[in-house]
Amino acid sequence: MLRRFLILFTLLGPFAAAAGEHADRIAAVLDRHILPGFTRFAAEAEVLKDAAEADCAPRSPALRAAYHAAFDAWLGVSHLRFGPTEAEDRAFALAFWPDTKGFTPKSLGSLIAAEDPVVNDPAGFDHVSIAARGFFALEFMLYDPGFADQGRPAYRCALIRAIARDIDANADAILDDWQTRYADLLRNPGKGESPYRSEEEAVQELFKALLAGLQFTSDTRLGRPLGTFDRPRPNRAEAHRSGRPLRDVAMSLEALDALAGLLAQGHPATTAALRAAFDEARSLAAGLDDPTFAGVANPQGRLRVEILQQSIDRIRALSGAELGPFLGVAAGFNALDGD
Amino acid sequence: MPNRRTFLAGLSAAVLSPTASWAAAGAPDFLSGARTAGGSYVLAGLRGTGEVAFTLDLPGRGHAAAAHPVRPLAVAFARRPGTFAIVLDCASGDVIARLEAPEGRHFYGHGVFSAEGDIFYATEHDYEAGQGVISVWNTSDFTRRDEFPSGGVGPHDIALMPSGHRLVIANGGIETHPDSGRAKLNIPTMRPNLSYFGIDGGRVETVELEGALHKNSIRHLAVRSDGLVAFAMQWQGDGSVEPPLLGLHKAGAQPQLLQAAPEDQRRMMGYAGSVSISSDGTLAAISSPLGGLAHVYELGTGKMVAEYEASDICGLGPVKGGFFFTTGTGASGRIGGSDVTDAATSRLSWDNHLVAIPKPG
Repeated sequence: MLRRFLILFTLLGPFAAAAGEHADRIAAVLDRHILPGFTRFAAEAEVLKDAAEADCAPRSPALRAAYHAAFDAWLGVSHLRFGPTEAEDRAFALAFWPDTKGFTPKSLGSLIAAEDPVVNDPAGFDHVSIAARGFFALEFMLYDPGFADQGRPAYRCALIRAIARDIDANADAILDDWQTRYADLLRNPGKGESPYRSEEEAVQELFKALLAGLQFTSDTRLGRPLGTFDRPRPNRAEAHRSGRPLRDVAMSLEALDALAGLLAQGHPATTAALRAAFDEARSLAAGLDDPTFAGVANPQGRLRVEILQQSIDRIRALSGAELGPFLGVAAGFNALDGD
Repeated sequence: MPNRRTFLAGLSAAVLSPTASWAAAGAPDFLSGARTAGGSYVLAGLRGTGEVAFTLDLPGRGHAAAAHPVRPLAVAFARRPGTFAIVLDCASGDVIARLEAPEGRHFYGHGVFSAEGDIFYATEHDYEAGQGVISVWNTSDFTRRDEFPSGGVGPHDIALMPSGHRLVIANGGIETHPDSGRAKLNIPTMRPNLSYFGIDGGRVETVELEGALHKNSIRHLAVRSDGLVAFAMQWQGDGSVEPPLLGLHKAGAQPQLLQAAPEDQRRMMGYAGSVSISSDGTLAAISSPLGGLAHVYELGTGKMVAEYEASDICGLGPVKGGFFFTTGTGASGRIGGSDVTDAATSRLSWDNHLVAIPKPG
């Protein structure tokens, strides 16, 4: 027989948000951030698919513009890594980065060399390696000179169209999953099939998404190109082939700012502190004038990127020290950062 | 500042002191890292009764430690991605050596001594290649003597098999790079495994889980006296999935995965932070600081038989009739027996792991 023991109780801080407020908070994040964000992303992905159908030339201005607009829309939701984005590896199939082992160029190269007919089979393309799908695969095909003359032009065109079509299908699948299933699960914790037992757990999921998004932007989007002082790595910046590294950081900050603001509702001091911290990071990013982080290779340029990184780390610290306790989801010494 | 040579000469003398045993360090049963109320970090010796036998200052947050089989020596690692470990004489409190990871490497926070204590093995990361390495050190002077591939990416825990001739390594599968802190870089393609090596570095066997579980990072180990290996996992995939978090393996056989009823399994939050096998070999326990929960399994039946709720519980170690546990809130006590003993509390926030000190005989 299963025996259960309770050893200690967890005490919530005295300033924790009241439980009733959590329902409003969850609804606000869903209705003003998550659902509109994925709706916009699905719409931009469709424009991208249509642009590739209309003109698959890598230098097509319309195609490149659609690529950037869809990528921007993805950055509005790319931090929401739970539920629909995780099913079937959808988010990784949209954004396979970082790619430390170079799987994306290898996988694309094999498809092209074999002229794999899977590009003509929309249902089959979602079984292609996730490294050859999504925005980073498309970026290689549109911007990398190494892929400009690999294989036959007709095959490259078919591959570009297949990747764009797959991005669109994936965006639709995520949106549909949110609209028909997951929004209700998040809105109704403790009921039916909801994976959340309580409103606190649902809020914790949203809070974790904020922290993970901040960590990814600081440690990975900025940390990888920064490398070390002796060995800066500008070629490891995210989407550097299409000139997006700084844009990705700025767009992700916009999205995280919006989420943080909705979570902090009801606590004016935390709201104001987060607002000021995001404003600082935003103005540092706007003033950087180094769209690809190429400047990390010289000491002055490097310092400015490090200062931007530190400003994001201040938001992380503030979120952990003030927002988490306010939401009643402060994590323990071990739970906070396991190993 | 003393130069390195004289420093090391001093060390060897200390290490070779023939008389000292763990009794001289207050006869602790376990080692654990901890944070003090003042915010500094220590390595502590703990008894199975909850008493603190000693605390020694550490330069930063530790992770796991390794205990010498005979002498009161502990190797305390800096937290991942730390590049050093310090060797402490737990009787005198002296730091007697410092292990430095070579250029391009960092430690993962776990290591183990050979049966006689003359060799020390540590899990290490070759971070440009993204490959795991086991470094091999002489304990007479703590110089590096060798290394061999760990058989995978992200080796974490390492344990000595009861024969003393083999090592078992949990290759967690997760690639990181110090440029990106602790960010996980390869979740969609990760492939953890459990690998066995001879103590000379020759690979004996590698065990992988079925494809659908490739995001279940195999990270921590406990070994029974008959060679049964219990491994604890941390799920990196879709949060709506409730994967098994405890596995058992016997050399040459298929792994057996254990899980509780879905409702209980879900409360572990896809995360097992530590694993332990009871001294009598009948029970295994895993802890989840994320869920504030420990689950005890009966090894004979593979069933989860007891569940303990304790905020930020993580450290687990064997005691007679069950397990000793520690929490990040400073609590410690016993679970797994017929009752829960009164939990002791201290002003120390216990870190992830309890490392059992080998018992003579």
